[in-house]
Amino acid sequence: MIFLGVSAGMVGLLLGGTVATVVFLYWLKPPPQRVVVPSTMLWNRLLKEKKRNTLLDRLRWLISLMIALTIGLSVAAGIGRPELSAFGRDVRDITVVIDNSATMATRTADGFTRWEHAVARAGEILRQGSASGHFLILDTSGQAPPTEPGDRRSALEVLAGLTVSLGGESTFPDLLEGESEIFFVSDGVMVDEAPPEATLISVFEPAHNVGITAFNVEALPSDPARYYAFVQMKNASLVAKQITLRLSGSNEGGLRDTLTLPAGETRARAIDLSGFERGPVRAVVTTDSDAFVADDYAYDFLPIRRQTRVALVTRGNVYLENVLAQEPRVFLDVMSPADYSAQVSADVFVFDRFAPPEAPRGPALLFLPSDVEWLTRTLAVVEAPEVPGWNSDHPVLRFVALEDLRIDRAARVAMPTAGESSPQSSAGEARREPVAEVVVGDRSLPLVLVSEEPERMVRVSFALEDSNFPLHPGFPIFLSNTLGWLMDEQGALARSPGRIEVPLPMAAVTDLEGSHIVTWPLSDRTVFQAEQPGLYTVVAEDGRRLRVAVNLASTERTSVNDSGLASDEIGAASTVSARAEPGPSEELWVFLLVLALLLLVAEWVTYHRRLTV
Amino acid sequence: MSEQGTLFDDDFLKKLEYLNLVANHMMPGHLHGEHRAKRTTSSGIEFADYQQYVSGEDTKNVDWRTYLRTDKLIVRLFEEEADLPIYIFFDASASMAHGASTKFDYARKIAAALCYVGLLNQDRVNLIGFADGISQELSARRGKHQVWHAFRFLESVESAGITAMEKAFKGFFSARRRRGLVVVVSDFMDEAGFTKGFDMLRYFRQDLFAVHIHSPEEVRPELPDEVLLEDAELGTSRRVRVTPALLDAYAEQFEEHCEEVEGYCRKNGWGYVRTTTDVPFEDLILQVFRQGRFLR
Repeated sequence: MIFLGVSAGMVGLLLGGTVATVVFLYWLKPPPQRVVVPSTMLWNRLLKEKKRNTLLDRLRWLISLMIALTIGLSVAAGIGRPELSAFGRDVRDITVVIDNSATMATRTADGFTRWEHAVARAGEILRQGSASGHFLILDTSGQAPPTEPGDRRSALEVLAGLTVSLGGESTFPDLLEGESEIFFVSDGVMVDEAPPEATLISVFEPAHNVGITAFNVEALPSDPARYYAFVQMKNASLVAKQITLRLSGSNEGGLRDTLTLPAGETRARAIDLSGFERGPVRAVVTTDSDAFVADDYAYDFLPIRRQTRVALVTRGNVYLENVLAQEPRVFLDVMSPADYSAQVSADVFVFDRFAPPEAPRGPALLFLPSDVEWLTRTLAVVEAPEVPGWNSDHPVLRFVALEDLRIDRAARVAMPTAGESSPQSSAGEARREPVAEVVVGDRSLPLVLVSEEPERMVRVSFALEDSNFPLHPGFPIFLSNTLGWLMDEQGALARSPGRIEVPLPMAAVTDLEGSHIVTWPLSDRTVFQAEQPGLYTVVAEDGRRLRVAVNLASTERTSVNDSGLASDEIGAASTVSARAEPGPSEELWVFLLVLALLLLVAEWVTYHRRLTV
Repeated sequence: MSEQGTLFDDDFLKKLEYLNLVANHMMPGHLHGEHRAKRTTSSGIEFADYQQYVSGEDTKNVDWRTYLRTDKLIVRLFEEEADLPIYIFFDASASMAHGASTKFDYARKIAAALCYVGLLNQDRVNLIGFADGISQELSARRGKHQVWHAFRFLESVESAGITAMEKAFKGFFSARRRRGLVVVVSDFMDEAGFTKGFDMLRYFRQDLFAVHIHSPEEVRPELPDEVLLEDAELGTSRRVRVTPALLDAYAEQFEEHCEEVEGYCRKNGWGYVRTTTDVPFEDLILQVFRQGRFLR
């Protein structure tokens, strides 16, 4: 027997001391009270008969002593935390790495998932070791806390808290060097870089699966007013499958397509969404016997563009006038700076080498604006600046390549910083300087700045005439993107399931059903956890809105049969039912304490009934 | 009545007067009990029998008519009632002095009451205190004027020693005592067994009336869990673990003991009364009277 609390020697001393103390206390009973009776004749006769007749009377003292000893020894042994399960087992240190990548959510033939089998196997491995060993549970998605090896109960608790991670990277964790036995429980699909010393335990079983590996709602650059849903499907099963694809939007109806995919084949579809209204779009693939559900759904958002009234304030710019005039959804109103007043109404303002003294009442695109109070100052003019880089992820620059951008001169403008006071507006209101993002250039030379407060604004710090930008094929796309972004006509951000950061501070997040999702503020961003595919709406305190389409959409995750492991014998439901939750303690101290308590209660009851004295 | 001590106070004497009245009411006129033997004599009123005349006898009882018819000298005999003595034995052993309201005082009061009634009825009353022998004795007395002697005697007796009835009765009746009524007031806690003492009375052909006294705490003693019981007579002690079961068994044992004493008396046609010290002694005396063995 192994004692977890103290050494065996100390336990021996403790038990010996307990025995000595109990026996001593039994001998140390107070002397009985002396009572004079008229005659002990009857007492003698009675006690003589009782002593002769009852064995229990003869053993009473001994039994009472034994009970007291048992109580004392139970408590003393309980302090040492003895463990019965250590009988016949070597002390082993065990590290179990469990694969919780997306494909572990695949169902097996017995109705459980690979993950449930993996948890059961991991629990069995942990229980094989001695309780006095050290145990560590790690996972491939980084959910398990990076702690030192501990006792088995803690490891089982960690194991019980793990879940399948549909998104994120799945890698074999870094292990500390040591003599711990390493077990890797996996299906071998997404993680296959286990070290050679690890014992591989496979929970892989071939499964049927058809999934969406890509889904996106986009407008063609050549036809910005028309949107298409690009859907890519894969049959990851080992046999051909007939697949039904359904697209549904916010309006009734939808689209339905049926196709047959051979085993392992991928096929893409571009589906015209002209009949769809603005709102969420959901794609669903169905087939018979699908073991992996998470990739059967995909979501995106369809931003329908409307007619936009654009006020172009310029002294004359043929590039801007022509490109904007070509935009099919733009009503263009061209005016000179002299004609511009604060009363001019438009959905978007475009200022060319001009800036009004007061901020316009709406979003604006500015090319080399003059110095005014509501904009940061021009610090210097830079001749022939280099373009150090651009943020192609920003909606303004989607599909825009700037490798060949040449600029003769540009203004170095001051970067607005958070908390910095701006000059007074004409209305006399104290306004905070907007925080801007550099999408072209860098902070030392911002060539294109975008900001969202108080109104969306794109500030280009060079004139179109001073660059070859208007001659670029991406220029009309830039203008189209900019108009769309300024009108908040952006689509949804594409993300994978898991931890999601959105560039809005203190925002509230809701899913398609309107349920609120728990969020955490992180600097100027908001973080939330999206475990399942879906379309999430993020609304900041100032009303700015963002949509996030969370889709599995991954060929690797859909390919649930691409495993390098053999299919082990997995599977009895009874095995899986042995879940990893920490069960009743295998340590004996609880039972010893209960035994002592029961004996005390029994002693108390029998004492008050005068059965044991 | 001012000579009484603390044991026989005015209250006690009033109760005796009451008992006397009750006794007269129960048996008006001359009070002679069943214990009174009939002796055949030549004088008397009630004819009993004939007997052959023996030379030297008084000729006044010769039945001359019978002589004329049969020519034989026949003497007529008459019965004369003779009073038999009352022997009141009270237990004066150490066990009787145990407790707040002692059995010894209670026994002496009973003895005094019975003695009083007996003296009033012109009986010969003997008072004997006994333990392992005769402790003290007041020889036969008759007449009401002997009451104060009896009371002083009872007050002077002290309890001591062990109970040994056989030895006491044997020692007393071996001295040619007349047959009579023996009243024994005791707890009958005789280590040698009460039957030996009773057998001795049977041997001497005495008529017994047993008054069995015990205190309430003897029936249901209140004892701590662990106790060292000390025998008041022997001085020996015994360690006992007291349990409710043991107390129940003791009560049962005590009841058996009492029933044994009573059964023995009933079997021999003797009177038996059992009481505890919390019962007023006059009630007990009335109970004795009702049994009809003392008053007839």
